[in-house]
Amino acid sequence: MSSWPAETKYISHSTARIDAPAKVTGRARYSSDIQAEGWLYGMILRSKWPAAKILSVNLDPARQIPGVKAAVVARDGAFNIRYYGEEIAAVAGTSKQVCLDALRAIEVQAQVRHEFVVNENEARQPDAAQVWPGAPNAPATPRVLENGSVDQAFPECEAIIEGFYTTPVQLHNPMETHGNTVSWTDEGVTAWASTQGISSVRDGLAGALRIHHSQVRVITEYMGGGFGAKFGAGAEGVLAAKLSRAAKAPVRLMLTRFDQALAVGNRPSSFQKIKLGALADGTLHAFDAENYGTAGIGGGADAGGGGGGADIPMPYLYPVPNTRVKQSAVAVNAGSARAFRAPGNPPASFGMESAMDDLAVKLGLDPLDFRLKNDPGKIRQREYQLGAKKFGWKEKYQQPGRSPGVVKTGIGCAGAAWPAGGASPFTQGEATVNPDGSIEFRLGVQDIGTGTRTVIAVVAAEMLGLKPEQITVRVGDTNFPPGPGSGGSTTCPSISPTVFNICSKVLQQLQTQSGLADARGLNWFAACKKLGVSPLVVHGQWEPGLSADRAGGVQFAEVEVDTETGLVTVKKILGVHDCGLIINQLTLESQINGGIIMGLGYALYEERIMDDLSGVVLNPNFETYKMPGIADVPDIEVVLINMPERGVIGIGEPATVPTAGAIANAVANAIGVRVFSLPITPAKILAALGKVPPFVKA
Amino acid sequence: MKAFQYATAHSTDSARELVADQGAYLAGGNDLLGLLKDYLVSAKVLVNIKALPGLDRIVRAKNFWTIGSLVTVSQIEHDVEIKKHFPGLHEAASEVASPQIRNVATVGGNLAQHSRCWYFRHRDTVCLKKDGDLCYARNGENRYHSLFTGNSCISPVVSSLATIFTALDATAIVLRDGQETRLSMAELYQRAWENPLAHNSLNPGDLIVRVEIPTERSRSAYLQVSDKHAFDWALVSCAAAAEVVDGRLKSPRVALGSISPVPHQVEAANRFLDGKVLDDAAVAQAADMILQDAKPLEHNAYKVPLAHALIRRTLLKLKGNT
Repeated sequence: MSSWPAETKYISHSTARIDAPAKVTGRARYSSDIQAEGWLYGMILRSKWPAAKILSVNLDPARQIPGVKAAVVARDGAFNIRYYGEEIAAVAGTSKQVCLDALRAIEVQAQVRHEFVVNENEARQPDAAQVWPGAPNAPATPRVLENGSVDQAFPECEAIIEGFYTTPVQLHNPMETHGNTVSWTDEGVTAWASTQGISSVRDGLAGALRIHHSQVRVITEYMGGGFGAKFGAGAEGVLAAKLSRAAKAPVRLMLTRFDQALAVGNRPSSFQKIKLGALADGTLHAFDAENYGTAGIGGGADAGGGGGGADIPMPYLYPVPNTRVKQSAVAVNAGSARAFRAPGNPPASFGMESAMDDLAVKLGLDPLDFRLKNDPGKIRQREYQLGAKKFGWKEKYQQPGRSPGVVKTGIGCAGAAWPAGGASPFTQGEATVNPDGSIEFRLGVQDIGTGTRTVIAVVAAEMLGLKPEQITVRVGDTNFPPGPGSGGSTTCPSISPTVFNICSKVLQQLQTQSGLADARGLNWFAACKKLGVSPLVVHGQWEPGLSADRAGGVQFAEVEVDTETGLVTVKKILGVHDCGLIINQLTLESQINGGIIMGLGYALYEERIMDDLSGVVLNPNFETYKMPGIADVPDIEVVLINMPERGVIGIGEPATVPTAGAIANAVANAIGVRVFSLPITPAKILAALGKVPPFVKA
Repeated sequence: MKAFQYATAHSTDSARELVADQGAYLAGGNDLLGLLKDYLVSAKVLVNIKALPGLDRIVRAKNFWTIGSLVTVSQIEHDVEIKKHFPGLHEAASEVASPQIRNVATVGGNLAQHSRCWYFRHRDTVCLKKDGDLCYARNGENRYHSLFTGNSCISPVVSSLATIFTALDATAIVLRDGQETRLSMAELYQRAWENPLAHNSLNPGDLIVRVEIPTERSRSAYLQVSDKHAFDWALVSCAAAAEVVDGRLKSPRVALGSISPVPHQVEAANRFLDGKVLDDAAVAQAADMILQDAKPLEHNAYKVPLAHALIRRTLLKLKGNT
């Protein structure tokens, strides 16, 4: 079986993104930059009601507006609206304003339903309005998973804690919104999509438009982030295609930030009632938990109620011999959840890691020692030891609430895991080697922003003895050999062995054709010259033995909490992470920085807020859906453990998993009481400290 | 947005004439353009007033300073004399939005800005402030709303400059019907206290031309706390100003933002502080007086202890380094 080279010049070192100059000069064309010949603007009319039956949609008034070139309905005939912001129709026109005017001109006849529910706790009540008529919002009985006997085990425990840990619905907010430019002619469909899965968009468009896969080409040169919400063609893809067909012109339909908050995915909420017990020696012994959350309208009525897709892994990370876990999803009138960076893991981590700290405090143990006692992960054990030393854990740790003064400091830690990952074994790619020594790689993968081109260049340069900047990389086109979707931390372990395989074949053929024993490095150009007039084209595919799954890590947080104003300031985050063989340290560190900042937002700021009475999303903007800004970001230190013997593993998900738990634990350590609910706002800090007067309903 | 005409005025008279009944003055445009784009307001004509002569200056005199309404927030932030003589004004300006917004935001626009209530700003809710039947916030999501109000609307004033100007006892000079009208900060917002439809006391066509700040209070301070550390609205803001003579406060004034439709001030607390030495007991008692009539709602009661802390801290900042 193949193996990675032991001595490396580029692999495991730092190479600046090969496309950085293109990105910083604006030469890189993102999906939202595409200006196809004769293109039109496209826009979507969304429901202003959370529940309604659409009886008819009259597009004629919109079509009569000068500049409007097409208008289509989202669905034919009468149909039901189940959440605020659901698609009703779409228009294409020569300017944004023309489209806005057209949307306002469309006449919608609707029976507005006043029975709807947007709050998880209300939706669970027996008399709640039904999101899906005929099916309860939540199943009558939750799914139950039992191991051992919790009822026998709890009496054997030395200490038991109980807590109700909650996390909000978090919105995907990639820098570039969802959207695409689509051109549908008799020859077929070309879609320039902001997607993390060009293949899944191609198949989705073909299916929705009832044409062959071969008639659809999807191109994603550059895109501005997806975080799990950009795998499919989406309503914005299908509607843009229909508009293009009707207008006989390419249509660019990019969502607004307002649209983004309503209909293209989110992370489900969680309401975790956890009871956790440990034996006198600090070993976890019993775990009893009930969790529910909402994935919006989710899967709906398919499983006898519930929104579907809101379960989280419980108990998270730490094995407990006696467990009982009840989970159920609650449907509400809100947009569906989608995969979101480490689905299920950040909420599970926040609940379990908070419970771990609360139990450690009750047992009188240092929370780090308590983790070392119970975490079976051998690599994480190493990372905790290493991190604790770097962070100064033993020197800094104080009993909860012992920090003096009004502004208190605290520290906390939490473990990271991503039980999935691994590679897509069907990944393919090809390279063209020219007689002048230039070489181009083509892979049907896309760069979600993590530096995919650079990974390909680094591996190729290492294998061929060239420099990364000598490698031309083309990605993001379904005309290239198929690659994986950029999700689940699978991209790097899929493409690195594929490029390895292509390079091995290139060298083999080049050496055979040129007669040189070693075509690498200094011999490269001489070998290529011997190709004569015909470039060498080599097709390769993923090969086993060079990649693995299950990346992990640990994170430490240090915070300051102003106990009079409730303001939390994160001073420091240390992340110690492993992902097997490091391909490119610089982009890896970037990805961990990003994961930590996203976790910081989850811990302190982000929350979709729905209005019970009107059913609308109240904060569909960055003014009140609060994202971390540069002033909120602490000193972040990333320490990497390089493990070449494991092969390549992705890092996207685990980087963001433990941050919120670590910060929440640091806050609890600082102020001596637990804030059970994310995000940890000044209002919740002051409430936890007992400083907020009780609300008396007038 | 709806179509509008655009004109540039070169004198206040022509500005008033151009804006007529259904126009709007355009300076920095931060608030106005957002309102237009969200179809929350419409204007037949936007009258660019950036070219009006003399309104972009800070003029110092012995008894009062004059700040033109076209002075930008970043001009205030970076004016070294303001930082020296009105440190609270410098601090308030530094907290407004982001550097990019401060570069174009004007004093007049900051004072005249509309409510940030998320029901008012939402395109699909018709709340009291939009001539609807009810205040959604009152029994809804009211974490950012008022502790005090004189009507049924609980959307608070959020202008940071209004908070510090109130503490400094500044006066807004408003061009109204061809005359200069002098409004105290309390008067500038009084209508919002009484009338849910109002954001301030300005009539259509009124133009703020300058603000006058008396120089009698050499000490001033401003503090705010937001969910985030920058570029976020204050949950509560607090400003205080006074002269300090022999360690005792003279003519002290305290004002709070984001907890009432008007800059919140309690005259009894100002009187109580007059002649006091700044110590923990005095400032705590003042804070009690300022907040005693607060009417918290389901989600904004945290503003009471937060405001209490800010009042104490802001007042203690008046001690300065002496």
